[in-house]
Amino acid sequence: MQPSKYCKFALVLAVAASCAPQRPYRAPTSPSSAPPSSARVPPSPPAPIAPPAPPIETVRKPMPQEGKIREQDIRAKSPTPAPASRDVKEPRSASEATSAPTAPPLADDSSLLAKITPGVTPQRAASLRVTDEARKLLDAGEPAKAMSRLERTIVIDSTNGYGYFYLAKAQYRLGHYQESLNLLEVAQSRLSGETYWLAEVHALRGENYRALGQTPRAEASYHQSLRLNSGNRTASDGLTRMTAETPAAAK
Amino acid sequence: MKKFKLRIFSIGLIVLLVITTTGLVAGAWFLKDWEDKVTKKFEGRKWDFASKIYSDSYHLYVGVNLPLADFTDKLRRLGYYEAAVPPKTQGAYRVNSANGSVELFLHDFEFPNEKVKGYPVRLWFQGNVLTRIEKLSDNSEKFDLELEPEVVTGLYQRIWQERRVVKLAEVPPLLIKSILAIEDERFFTHMGVDPVGILRAMMVNVRYLSLQQGGSTLTQQLMKNFLLSDERTLSRKFPEAVMALIAERKYSKETILENYLNEIYLGQRGSQGVFGVWEAAQFYYSKPLAELSVGETALLAGLIRAPNRLSPYRNAEAATKRRNVVLAKLLDDSIITKKQYDAAHKEKLPQRALVKVTNEAPYYVDYLRRELDQNYPKDVLEKDGLRIFTGLDLRLQKIAEKALSEGLTKLESSHPALKKKSAEESLEGAIVVIRPQTGEIKAMVGGRNYQKSQFNRVFQAKRQAGSVFKPFVFLAAFMHGGQSGTQYFSDTVVNDSQFTWSYDGGQSWQPHNYNNDYYGAVTVRRALESSLNSATARVAQDVGIRRVRDVARRLGIESSLPAVPSLSLGSAEVTPLEVAVAFSTLANGGVRARSVAVKHVMAQNTKVLEKRDVKLEQVISPNLAYTMNQLLMGVMDRGTGAQARRWGFTRPAAGKTGTTNDYKDTWFVGYTPELLAVVWVGYDGPAKIGLSGAEAALPIWTEFMKAATASMPVTDFVPPAASRNETPEGTPTEKCGPLTREGEPPGEPCPTPAKPAEPA
Repeated sequence: MQPSKYCKFALVLAVAASCAPQRPYRAPTSPSSAPPSSARVPPSPPAPIAPPAPPIETVRKPMPQEGKIREQDIRAKSPTPAPASRDVKEPRSASEATSAPTAPPLADDSSLLAKITPGVTPQRAASLRVTDEARKLLDAGEPAKAMSRLERTIVIDSTNGYGYFYLAKAQYRLGHYQESLNLLEVAQSRLSGETYWLAEVHALRGENYRALGQTPRAEASYHQSLRLNSGNRTASDGLTRMTAETPAAAK
Repeated sequence: MKKFKLRIFSIGLIVLLVITTTGLVAGAWFLKDWEDKVTKKFEGRKWDFASKIYSDSYHLYVGVNLPLADFTDKLRRLGYYEAAVPPKTQGAYRVNSANGSVELFLHDFEFPNEKVKGYPVRLWFQGNVLTRIEKLSDNSEKFDLELEPEVVTGLYQRIWQERRVVKLAEVPPLLIKSILAIEDERFFTHMGVDPVGILRAMMVNVRYLSLQQGGSTLTQQLMKNFLLSDERTLSRKFPEAVMALIAERKYSKETILENYLNEIYLGQRGSQGVFGVWEAAQFYYSKPLAELSVGETALLAGLIRAPNRLSPYRNAEAATKRRNVVLAKLLDDSIITKKQYDAAHKEKLPQRALVKVTNEAPYYVDYLRRELDQNYPKDVLEKDGLRIFTGLDLRLQKIAEKALSEGLTKLESSHPALKKKSAEESLEGAIVVIRPQTGEIKAMVGGRNYQKSQFNRVFQAKRQAGSVFKPFVFLAAFMHGGQSGTQYFSDTVVNDSQFTWSYDGGQSWQPHNYNNDYYGAVTVRRALESSLNSATARVAQDVGIRRVRDVARRLGIESSLPAVPSLSLGSAEVTPLEVAVAFSTLANGGVRARSVAVKHVMAQNTKVLEKRDVKLEQVISPNLAYTMNQLLMGVMDRGTGAQARRWGFTRPAAGKTGTTNDYKDTWFVGYTPELLAVVWVGYDGPAKIGLSGAEAALPIWTEFMKAATASMPVTDFVPPAASRNETPEGTPTEKCGPLTREGEPPGEPCPTPAKPAEPA
């Protein structure tokens, strides 16, 4: 698709979506719930953002190699950081963020059970199964029940980044946005290299920032997500909603 | 004379009148008082419910390492009993050694947010590994299973009454008829007192010339239990009878009967009294009331007379005899048929080892009691029947208790100078065990003997940290570099020689190495593994002590940390719990987890009052945590913790010894990726132990970890995903060299210090 067509198509979709009722946060689709083909929309163009754009920091940098540890990023952190002062890994401005190249939609990698292959350790397999069970509870609107199971997933296998992601999602559903953001940071470090899931992490981060009223950060997170996976529905929906909300707020 | 007689008569009459009036007034007053008491009891709060503290639940999954013996031990502790036939009732299990399977009928349990109905399962084992779980009702495969938690103890006033209140309609008619038949057959016809019953009791008592029977009705028994003492005297009998009459006048037979069925004492499990028919059905049969058989019903009804003497767990013969008496009475009264009677006669009595609830984690309970006291008044905790779910692992708790107790005794026998000089001066110790991923406190032993000292050294004793503080210095160095511009890596050479640190306008401080041995140019790794004071202090000076303090705070140290040079060698006082949290952050890849003892608090009506979520925060990068873990693994493999390897603890682990320079406190903190334990050994007072952390605390830690991890799979610290996926060439492959200068060969050869340079 040509970039211009791409933008037009996205614009049409964005306008259409802004007229539709708001949708709740959407989970990565599971194999059992077939993803609608039309759901994979490219990102909508950024809406103009009122606050001045802070300096851009593009895609989150990978952790330094062992021999390069300088830990610059945590200098800025206070022992009990306030949400606003946290070191955000996303670009701060939507317009700058979208200047980065956008990745094509990624293949659906949301199935956790599909990750249980013969080489997987029993711990990881068990942890993935419990995570999947918790995911279903989350989808069924039972975040408190899901929390207990998700805490178990990281006990069984502390390297299961999906467990941390869904823990963050459960906290988001429970309205604990700062907790959710903390967990997303852990999830991000555990899911490094899994682009589909990193896009999910950024999208959920966007949802949290949006809930906290930190619009520029939310927007930047959505864009970050879409740069990793232009098919991330949560991020595109989030941006659309924000676009729809901005004129309403201005009125 | 006649006049005199008249006067006497008048006075007598007046006296009589006064006495009668006084008697009537007093009687009325007593009647009013008793009526008030009865009313208050029936219409107010009838029972206090002890809050129960539970351990963590037990999660099983396919592939978990689980020796069969450990599993069956766990089942017994949870009140399951072994059966010879496939389990058909809750609480039964059968081991089939021939094919390595266990069939088990799970108990019902109300977890926070979830009520689970018991169902039968089969678990298959191969060696020590659980290989398959089947749900027997439909032969479907399950991949995990959660066993209910154990009751650790109760919080209560005076006596622990375990009871669940049920409505009369929930009690099977047969049980009601059995109880009435054997205890008070004219219940529905008398007015609260049964003259026929009293007459019968009097005849029996006269015959035996002692108080054999009371002739009390159910209502009288209820009044006695509700409002009066247990003594069997006539002076108690009168108010009991009057109160029974009052109760019968004011309340229906059904109300009285319902209260009786919930009130009655029916057995004892350690410090827990079993009260009410619902609790008794659970205690003796692990069954709901509706599922009781005729024989089981008869046994429960028969127990009322003397629950302990007639308990099937204590005296099977007496229990059988009593049950048969009840059955005969039921047959005589045509409540059951001859066929039912014969079948019930053949029923076997419940046979199982009686698992007593004894508080096996008193320090842990004290700790969480303090946590709970902040949100729940004492009366609520002791009377409202809360259910408190914790992270406690009773297996680890027992291992920790044993390791500490035996370790301290061994130390005293190998170093007689340590033996107690007075009652207040005995050698003490503490262990705290944490799961780094969640921050759950899995075990806590706050001292050597809870009966002698309830002072919990895990969180109440602030002691100098000593060398366990050194990793914070090096973390700060890796993170920030030196003020001199030096960038620190594991192979950065630092100077281990005497020096004086001048600070704050004219003050100075001079660190000393153990035995005043100095090693000159050493690498950071060597400085940490051998716990070199001088080299560490030089690094701290270069980095800046405030940065060191900030790192310690970030990892989880909350105590006051004065920013003075000696902080670099652990001069600040901290608690073992703080040390555990800080090092858990390293074990957990830089993610700090808030320490948690209480996980859920549930009200009696199963509403979740409080849930303490796992709270995590990435406070240092996974790479940095991994690097420090690698360095601290070097401490275990080659440094001051190397004795642990010689004593048989061989799995991948990181650790650090600690000794204060005055030899008052000795520490060891060590961890695998899944479990962390901190051990402190010393005296409460100013006495010196005179040993190093490696000599005093490490042996206890080693014994604990060997036993605690014996059935766990061996795991290693996983390199951060960024290194694995994005910079594979940067991933350290050589154990001694995780942190090397960029562009240089990966690390120095593993150093092998000729001798420990410092007791650390």
